[in-house]
Amino acid sequence: MNTPLISGKEIERLLPQRPPILMIDQLIEATEHEARTALTIVQNNIFCVDNNFREPGIIEHIAQSASALAGYNALCQSQPAPVGYIGEVKKFHINRLPKAGDTLQTHLQIVSEVNGVSLLKAETMVETELIASGQLKIFIE
Amino acid sequence: MTKEELILKANEVLAEEFEVEESVITPDADIKATLQLDSLSLVDMVALIEETFGVKLKGTDVSSVKTFGALYDFIYERL
Repeated sequence: MNTPLISGKEIERLLPQRPPILMIDQLIEATEHEARTALTIVQNNIFCVDNNFREPGIIEHIAQSASALAGYNALCQSQPAPVGYIGEVKKFHINRLPKAGDTLQTHLQIVSEVNGVSLLKAETMVETELIASGQLKIFIE
Repeated sequence: MTKEELILKANEVLAEEFEVEESVITPDADIKATLQLDSLSLVDMVALIEETFGVKLKGTDVSSVKTFGALYDFIYERL
């Protein structure tokens, strides 16, 4: 894995969520339209049940990855991190639930943007295994 | 791609994505009303056109391209 662009407490500069709801711990790389993020799932993560990281946690992790991308682009322009809302989750598939101790790595790409609404494509891996994929529509204020 | 081929392809992918009959997609029909597009689903149409034809619609284009006829012309001029 590359040295992350931003990790640890610094992540909080990119998005408004705070522990225990913060669901990314690294921004590995980012361009204007793409990002790669990571989350190592700890056992007491609020989305963990019986050692499994549940579906809402995966969606929240991907949505926060999108928020981190928007926050990083804002930070590069010395602007405050914008507030974003999930408009829709589409074509979402979860192949298996990750477990505590796994590190999620998500690749996110903005497919299209119109009038403040962005359509994003995301793939979440654990090592080389595709865990989840889908599309999200995000409205950025 | 001829314009006729473009129209056939556009109608096919739009009808499939937005679950309407191809017969309701006519050159004079209003795109938003026919496909029942709202502010969220508009971005789906833009992504579909880009994926199918490699042509990008911006926010200002979306405002000016109101009918399917105008959409066919917009795409054809940029192929």
